[in-house]
Amino acid sequence: MAAPGHPTASGPAEPVAARRVRVEPAAVTFAIEPQESVIAAAWRAGFQWPTTCWGQAECGVCAMEVLEGVELLSPVGPAEARRLRALPRRDGAGRRLACQAQVVGPGTVTVRKPGVRTRSAESSPSA
Amino acid sequence: MTVTDQRLNGRRVNPFPMQDRLSVPRERYYDRDFFELEKKHLWRHTWQMACRLEEIPEVGDFTEYIICDQSILVVRQSEERIRGFFNACRHRATELLKGSGSLLGGQIVCPFHGWRWNSDGSNSFVYGSEAFEAECLKPDDIKLEECQSAVWGGCVWINLDPDAPPLAEMLAPAAAILEPLGFADMKVWWWKEVVLNVNWKLAMEAFLEGYHTMRTHSQLTMGAGEEWPAGSLGYETFEHGHSRFFSKPSDQPMSPDMFIAFARVLWEGQDAMTLERDVRVFEGIRNRPDAQANAAPVAIAALYEYAAGAGIPLPQLTPEQMGQWGGEIFLFPNFFVLPQYGNALSYRCRPFEDNPEKCRFEVWSLTLYPEGEEPGRATLKGRFAQDDEENWGLIPRQDFSNMERQQRGLHSDSFGHMRLATEWEGAIANLHHEVDRYIAR
Repeated sequence: MAAPGHPTASGPAEPVAARRVRVEPAAVTFAIEPQESVIAAAWRAGFQWPTTCWGQAECGVCAMEVLEGVELLSPVGPAEARRLRALPRRDGAGRRLACQAQVVGPGTVTVRKPGVRTRSAESSPSA
Repeated sequence: MTVTDQRLNGRRVNPFPMQDRLSVPRERYYDRDFFELEKKHLWRHTWQMACRLEEIPEVGDFTEYIICDQSILVVRQSEERIRGFFNACRHRATELLKGSGSLLGGQIVCPFHGWRWNSDGSNSFVYGSEAFEAECLKPDDIKLEECQSAVWGGCVWINLDPDAPPLAEMLAPAAAILEPLGFADMKVWWWKEVVLNVNWKLAMEAFLEGYHTMRTHSQLTMGAGEEWPAGSLGYETFEHGHSRFFSKPSDQPMSPDMFIAFARVLWEGQDAMTLERDVRVFEGIRNRPDAQANAAPVAIAALYEYAAGAGIPLPQLTPEQMGQWGGEIFLFPNFFVLPQYGNALSYRCRPFEDNPEKCRFEVWSLTLYPEGEEPGRATLKGRFAQDDEENWGLIPRQDFSNMERQQRGLHSDSFGHMRLATEWEGAIANLHHEVDRYIAR
């Protein structure tokens, strides 16, 4: 469930089989489409998500800790695996690149990603 | 001053010009100065096929097109709009993207300092912009440099010269021959490439004539050997360097067994032009009484019937248009289409690694898919050695096998120039004369 007062991409009448991503510590939830990456869904829902390569699996800045629902995520591809191996080691849940991971079935994936927040108009890409 | 800038009587000096349409000086295939003239005056001014539309099917998809020392990013900005950008950061020249992929958030990002651009080429972000003088960051100066681009025949074409005439004007009149054949609707069946140790023109010239069929592809003569008629194809050359060959109308009837055997040789030999589905349809007429006297019209009618039932948009053609099946259309400077039925073979050939004696030769097998069953994003299957039996059929392997022998033969002290058959090899002369026109301008 989306926390009250936080934006969601789909309205109150969400289908039962919706795919969603919940992000901590911001405690926000947004809907994600099939074949859509987590970062693209976040942008579409009006959130800022840290990155410097914008989806090329190069910078690793978008990496998130997966807290729940890892089984709902698409498999790690070779480019993502290469980049994940280069991330500094950290204990805890497995990490994924938000620019590569997709949600492949209905349910909610919960991740931890500091820096995710409602995007200000100035930081929006104009494309 | 380099050789590329010398002029005489207003025309740029060409060290090895074409003198007539009967011979080609050998130096045009390996001389460094001639190669530099082509790089500067041909490739920077001619329209060239940069990618197929199904390589960038979704908004934000991009692919890189490399020609000599220039890299161009072809970007799908919207459903309708595709743009070509010179692939160099406006800050310190880094190539922005390599290969192909998708722009998330519509952003092209420099991997060096993180400058960003929107997919229309406008700059969207300069990291630490406060450290630059305003004159260094004028929006018009730091937008991505765009080249000309246009769509024709299911492909994106680019031209690095902002003053080049429009694509439609430069593809005329040869492009119009392809349009009725459904070429624009064809999609990739497979796409592979080979690197050959030969000049780019020499590789292409193997496909500008069918005269070599008797010896190089002897299996296609169906046992006729030297009795195979060298003149079974008609040839035509056009302005702008384009050309074609086509099947001459034949009054020789073909039995079903012969027709099907020939179709099978093409399918097994290259998995292009004739595909397995076509052979299956043709097998269905083998024992039909009305096909025994002359199989071809019955086989073609069966193919149309099958296409209608399967939802394949096989266009209706006049007999003259159908004569282009089994032939070839060459679009200067380096693009070929060999249509047959609802399929086509297509080639693109470019210089490789800045070496006059190396080229990168790509091969597409294309087909009309049943409506609603079109494949997704097209990707190159890979680069395969010219003798790789797993990945190249017998026919292309036979073509490739002659080329490096020919390139080495050019260096023989005994050899001065190519000798061309006026009727059958005119497209080669036509190609070279157009190259010279670009060099002379």
